[in-house]
Amino acid sequence: MAESPSKDPAAAWRDLVTQWEKNLNELANRTMGSDEFAKSVNQAVGLSAGMQSSLSEAMGRYLASLNLPSRTEMAAIGERLHAIEQRLDRVLELLQASAGAAEAEGAVAGAKPPPRTKRPRDRGEKP
Amino acid sequence: MTAAGEIDLIGSRIQAEVERAIQRNIKGLEYFSSPAPVPGATPKDLLHTRGTLNLYHYRPLAAELYRVPLLLVMATTNRGYIFDLAPGQSLVEFLLEQGYDVYLIDWSPPRPDEKRLRLEDYTLEFIPDCVRRVAKHCGEDEVTILGYCMGGVLSVIYAALHPEGPLKNLVCFTTPIDWTRMGLFTKWAHRDFFDVDKLVDALGNVPSEFIFTSFEMLRPATRSAGQIRLWENLWNDEFVKSHRMFERWSTDTLPLAGEYFRQTIKELMWRNGLFENALTLGGRRADLGNIRAPVLHVVAEHDHIVPYEAARPLIERVGSADKQELVLKGGHVSVVAGRNAVQRLWPKLDAWLGERSI
Repeated sequence: MAESPSKDPAAAWRDLVTQWEKNLNELANRTMGSDEFAKSVNQAVGLSAGMQSSLSEAMGRYLASLNLPSRTEMAAIGERLHAIEQRLDRVLELLQASAGAAEAEGAVAGAKPPPRTKRPRDRGEKP
Repeated sequence: MTAAGEIDLIGSRIQAEVERAIQRNIKGLEYFSSPAPVPGATPKDLLHTRGTLNLYHYRPLAAELYRVPLLLVMATTNRGYIFDLAPGQSLVEFLLEQGYDVYLIDWSPPRPDEKRLRLEDYTLEFIPDCVRRVAKHCGEDEVTILGYCMGGVLSVIYAALHPEGPLKNLVCFTTPIDWTRMGLFTKWAHRDFFDVDKLVDALGNVPSEFIFTSFEMLRPATRSAGQIRLWENLWNDEFVKSHRMFERWSTDTLPLAGEYFRQTIKELMWRNGLFENALTLGGRRADLGNIRAPVLHVVAEHDHIVPYEAARPLIERVGSADKQELVLKGGHVSVVAGRNAVQRLWPKLDAWLGERSI
């Protein structure tokens, strides 16, 4: 027997949550859609980014005084490692090509790959 | 109904609620003490990696495959396991079972030295390189691309810049074209208020927290409402599992490469380059009219991230004779995963792709 929604407290609660969510989202969207909000939130973001940048510079000076590398310097090392990785990739590709590794790759993936002959079932009209 | 019947009904209702309350307490303890389910478990092999870029090949599950391979391109803001949440809720698993040979471009957080990556790197270097690798790996000369959200934008730009192929079909999920219709994003990122240069110059790569907060602010009450619904459904194992996977994915946002973000804001948002046919990359114009391959665009009726109005122009603008828009109920994520996707989208996607993948 179908239960009347008015007698189902759980359903009423679910509706209440959904309605609360909808109303709050709408209200927030109206507020956040104003020029004033966009301006103030971007000022806050700019301020935060600026502070982060200044902090990073100050930290860099502090680390230098301790004779330790800064994040930027570590990133530069990372960049050079990346370049080495790329060169290694290219060397590996050349080696694979010369050793016929393409076939070996297929074998690793699991014996013979399935044939590429599949055709769609007759489904009538297009979706 | 008689008075006695109503009393019985209320009695059974109270009994059910008491049982659920007990289950909530038991399973609530389990929730906090058990590890989250592991998404992205369908077996795959890493074919290629290059900084932020990862190219995977999923191991086939069918005895016979369609001729044309399918390359999924994930959005640069989120992890690709949304395509492969869990057995029975995995688009990848579904496609493999239907006989598609599936590849995935998934993104890692860009490294500090990758802050200089630009749209050109993604659309003229990364995707073409992956398409070549996929073609070589499977031995076919054509590839179908499926891009989700910003992955769809990159795929569309790639397709517009490479009209000579080897693109067989293009499938886009919730892909914005008219960026003046992006709702609150358009407002927040307006050139009068948003100093993108200051942000990128100060931070290099744009932090994931910034991306996450931007998404969250679109629906500020939704996470709290989700927690209330989780408590209410703690007795329901399937609900809890699904909630945990979606929760994990939605909070697992990625940082964005600084120059790529700057260009996205300036070229796509401010100049509305794709819609106005004004986006030029590597000396070539990304004209949507150049796209001649069959196109399917899946859009969501209640998408709060990419509103329908922002996505709608894709089908109007592409030069393909064979093109179709599929409007589904639901939101931005529910077109890809969840019950809505399983029941409404996947069979239609299979039907569209199947006859174009031979």
